[in-house]
Amino acid sequence: MPPTGDPLANRYRRLLLCYPREWRRLRGEEMVAVLLESATPGRTRPTPRETVDLLRHGLRSRLGRPASYTVVAWAVLTAVICGLFSAALTSWVAWQTARPLPDRAETTALVAEVLPGYAAKEMDSPTALFTFYSQPLRLENLDSVLLGDGGEYQQGAVVAVVTGVPPASQQETLALAQRRLRETGWRVYPPHVVPGTTCTGISCDPAARDTMIFARRGDTGLDLSLPARPSVDSTPVTVALRRATPPAVLPAGVLGGLIGAVAGWLVFGWASRRTERPHRAADAVTVLHTITMLLWWSPAVLAAPQLLQHHRDEPHPVWHPLWEWLGQPALSLFFVVGAGCALCGLALATLPRRDPGPLTTTATG
Amino acid sequence: MREPTFLILTALAGGSRHGYGIIQDVAAISEARVHLLPGTLYTALDRLVAQGLVAHDRDEQVEGRLRRYYRLTHQGLQALDVETARLRQLTNAAEARLRTLRPHTA
Repeated sequence: MPPTGDPLANRYRRLLLCYPREWRRLRGEEMVAVLLESATPGRTRPTPRETVDLLRHGLRSRLGRPASYTVVAWAVLTAVICGLFSAALTSWVAWQTARPLPDRAETTALVAEVLPGYAAKEMDSPTALFTFYSQPLRLENLDSVLLGDGGEYQQGAVVAVVTGVPPASQQETLALAQRRLRETGWRVYPPHVVPGTTCTGISCDPAARDTMIFARRGDTGLDLSLPARPSVDSTPVTVALRRATPPAVLPAGVLGGLIGAVAGWLVFGWASRRTERPHRAADAVTVLHTITMLLWWSPAVLAAPQLLQHHRDEPHPVWHPLWEWLGQPALSLFFVVGAGCALCGLALATLPRRDPGPLTTTATG
Repeated sequence: MREPTFLILTALAGGSRHGYGIIQDVAAISEARVHLLPGTLYTALDRLVAQGLVAHDRDEQVEGRLRRYYRLTHQGLQALDVETARLRQLTNAAEARLRTLRPHTA
C-alpha cells in the first residue's frame, strides 16, 4: 500500500496496520477505497466510530478462521491469562523497588515504640523480601518449588518474639498495643480473633482466643500476634514486620498486563492463521493449546477464590502479590508444563502448510 | 443469521456489488436504519466467503481506486431463501397474533 498525498487515506492505512500483513496485501487498497468513498467530502481524519470499527475488526481478522465463532473466545482466554502472567512478572520486578526489611535495630526500636515495657527476646530477620522457607530463593530450590513446595515462596517478614516484665494479660497487651499504634501514627485495623491454638488437655479453656492486630504505617505492615494466655502457656507474643506493596507495582502490573495481553492475542492470532486447515499439524496444535489453557487457567481458578476468602476473613494491610492469586508458584509445575505445550504448539505452527497458496481471505474466493 | 448478514446477502441478490455498493444498498434496503462500516462489512464478507455463501466476482479500477465485486453463490442463494422463509413464517405468526389482539385494525 504505497502512501499518497491524501492525509485521510494515509491515516486509514495506518489504522489498517491492525490487520495482518497478508490481509493488507490482498485487501488493503480495496478497503481504503471503500473507506474513502464512504467519507464525507473534505474530511481529513477517520471518525472515532470508524477507528473503533477498524481496530475491532482488525484484531478479529488477526485470528484468521473467519467462519469460526469460537476462535474469539479462545483468543480472549489466551490474551487474558498471558496478560495476568505478564502483570504478575512485572509486579514481581516492581516489588524489588521496596526498601529492605527493617534491621534488628529498627525492629527493636519499633517494638519499644509500640509496646513500651516489652523487649524483643528473639528475632528472625530474613535478608530477602520474598523467601522460601524463610531463606532467599536459590537455584537449587527450583525442584522443590516445582514439585509441591512452591507455596512456601512467600513474602518475608522480620519476626520478633517479645516479652513483657511482668507478663501482662492478653487484654492488657491488646489495649496497650492499640493505643500506642494509634498514638505513633499507625493505621490500625480491627482485631482479628481466632480460636486459641494453645488450648490442649484438661487445662483447655474453650473461651480462649488468640488475637491478631494488623497495622500499617508508610511502607511497613505490622502483625501483632497475642496468644490467649501468654502467662500460662509461655506462648510468645510476636511482632512481624513486612514491607507494603511499593507504589511502582500497580503501574508496572497494568503496563505488563496490557503488553502481555496484546502479545498473547497477536501470537495466538499468528498460530491460528498459520494452522488453518489444511495445515499438517492443525489438530496437534489445537490439542496443545487446549492443554496449555487448562494448565494455565486451573491454578488461577483454584487459587483466586481461596485467596479472596482469606482476604475477607482477616484484615490485610498488605495484599498478597498478584502471582499468588494466579496459584503461582504453588502450582508452578502446571505453568511450566503449560508453557512447554505452548512452545511445542508454536513450533508445530511453523511447519509449512500443505497448500502453497495464500492464507484464506475473501480475495481468494 | 444476523441482520447485517441477511442484508448483505439481500444486497448481493440484486447482482454483484463492490464494497461501497453493498454499504449503499444495505442502507437503502433497511431504509437508512442500518449503516455498515467498512470494518464490519469486510469481516462479514470474510466469513461469508469462508462459508461459501459469497464469492469474488471481478475487479475494476475506477478513478484510480480498486473496486472488487462480490456475488452470491448458489449456496448463498439457498441460505437467503431459507432465512427469508423463516422470517416470513415468523412475520406471519406475529401478524396473526396482532390481528387477534386488535381485530378492529385487521
